[in-house]
Amino acid sequence: MSAGKTVDIELKDIAYSYGPIEALRGVSLSLGAGATGLLGPNGAGKSTLLRILLGFLEPDSGEGRVLGYDIRFERDDIRRRVGYMPEDDCLLPGMDAVTFTSYLGELAGMPRQEAMKRAHDVLFYVGLGEARYRFLETYSAGMKQRLKLAQALVHDPPLLFLDEPTANLDPRGRTDILELIADIAAKKDIRVLISSHILSDIESVCSQAVILNKGRVAALGRLADLRQPNFNLFEMRVKGGSGKFLKDLTGLGCRVEETEDGLLRVFMPVGLDRKKVFRLAAEDRTQIRHFLPSRTSLEDLFAQSVGVEG
Amino acid sequence: MSIREKGYHRWDGRLEERRRGWKPIARLGIRLAFKRKHFKFAFSLSFLPAFVFLAGIYLSERLQDFEGIVRKGAMPLRVVPGYFLSYLTADFVLFMTVVLLIFCAAGLVADDLKHNALQLYFARPLAKRDYVLGKAAVVMFFVLLLTLVPGLLLVVFKIVFSGSFGLLRDHPGLPLAIVVYSAAAAVFFASYSLLLSSLSRNRRTASFLIFGIYVFSDMLAEILRGIFRTPYVGLVSVKTNLKLAAAPLFGTKPVLEVPSVYAFVVLAAVVAAGAWVMNRRIRGVTIIK
Repeated sequence: MSAGKTVDIELKDIAYSYGPIEALRGVSLSLGAGATGLLGPNGAGKSTLLRILLGFLEPDSGEGRVLGYDIRFERDDIRRRVGYMPEDDCLLPGMDAVTFTSYLGELAGMPRQEAMKRAHDVLFYVGLGEARYRFLETYSAGMKQRLKLAQALVHDPPLLFLDEPTANLDPRGRTDILELIADIAAKKDIRVLISSHILSDIESVCSQAVILNKGRVAALGRLADLRQPNFNLFEMRVKGGSGKFLKDLTGLGCRVEETEDGLLRVFMPVGLDRKKVFRLAAEDRTQIRHFLPSRTSLEDLFAQSVGVEG
Repeated sequence: MSIREKGYHRWDGRLEERRRGWKPIARLGIRLAFKRKHFKFAFSLSFLPAFVFLAGIYLSERLQDFEGIVRKGAMPLRVVPGYFLSYLTADFVLFMTVVLLIFCAAGLVADDLKHNALQLYFARPLAKRDYVLGKAAVVMFFVLLLTLVPGLLLVVFKIVFSGSFGLLRDHPGLPLAIVVYSAAAAVFFASYSLLLSSLSRNRRTASFLIFGIYVFSDMLAEILRGIFRTPYVGLVSVKTNLKLAAAPLFGTKPVLEVPSVYAFVVLAAVVAAGAWVMNRRIRGVTIIK
């Protein structure tokens, strides 16, 4: 089976349950080149999806291919060609970074000498060149994160799965890792699937995103397209009886979020005439003192998708 | 430290479809064992009995050279299968085997569990059996180094010192007995140590269990024998089971009046328990988290 050229991941109606709990329900998606963000609240099914893609779990139903290989029957072929950076702190104690990285390269199927040579290269690439002979137990959180990236890259996979790559990092460490991932995705011809809770990370690195909610795909597509949403976002400040007004807004099909400083963020359906909002405010004896259109961020999209589906 | 001190280069090699995915695991495990503090000392010390038994073979063949210092009427040393069995099941050899397990085997699975390393292994094209076999191979390597290698070398030296193949002519099954016992001991110790290593996420706890169960089971058997006055309680002891199981292979009398088949059953049960626990512990970590 040869690897697919344009579509790296293709899933059709994937379902998976942990006993009575449905983790994934009819997930269908098709992902191609570039970096893709996998977003969703806790329990949305992100980790389960990654595990299914890696062949750790066999879906209850549905079918899928990764790099052209069947996720049910060609797991070894997938694992040989995919780099995986787990979320948890994971390392093999009692060894230095070169031994660790080359060992995992060997396990992926690289010849021993090549794996050793390549380990040096990727450790330099991720910025651990000077620390490559230090014992892993002495590494900081940021260094461990880079090391996990190095082990995922050592066998030069065409596809990388990164599970929360910036977890537990300080701002500078985060920037460094994101810079690396952006470089990998943009210049090294490696497709990247990033599972993250940090939306700004996804926005800064990815060209497309999948939003999962309660085991379903809530939104999927290029970020630029997703930012052209089926809602308009407005920022609003009101004075007066806002309780009834907010309830009536919801009745118009709007979704309203209130920030800590009292600012209302109103997601209005595209077809809704904004004059209706003012009319409603007048009826509810509420003064609108601030009403401005706002740029849609990924957070907004995420909130809207998860809210709509929820 | 700046990021990208060197650029990322594509690797144009070809990934092999490994049939022996366990080999890198075994190789690394052996290398790491030698890096542990005091391991080399313990490793060297464990060969002491082999040299003593070698000296015994030499003396048995050159007895006339030592007539002046040998007591009159003393029984001459007879190098027969029982002699090799004595080496293989010597208390010191078994004890040092367990000591080496503390260094080389206690952390084999416990460290991987503690540091969440299993997902790194299984994100590679590696089957569960490759992982288990790789870890077991580390233990088997050291056990065979202490049993099979000296056992066969003692046979070779006996032939060299005697200048004849008399030993093999009289006991043609001896090399096979050494091979079978060594292999069985290697499988047993691999299962025993991996079972205990996979029960804990702490290397020290696993070390304590490996050493403690070996020593305590022997003590317990002695205590129970004192109370119940039956040789069957010897089956509680790891050491006694190994000795009982080895006896029929070498055609010697068992250390206790207990059918050897019982010892085989006990040892096989430990092997089966090891396989079962390993299977559950690995599945528990990689599949459902």
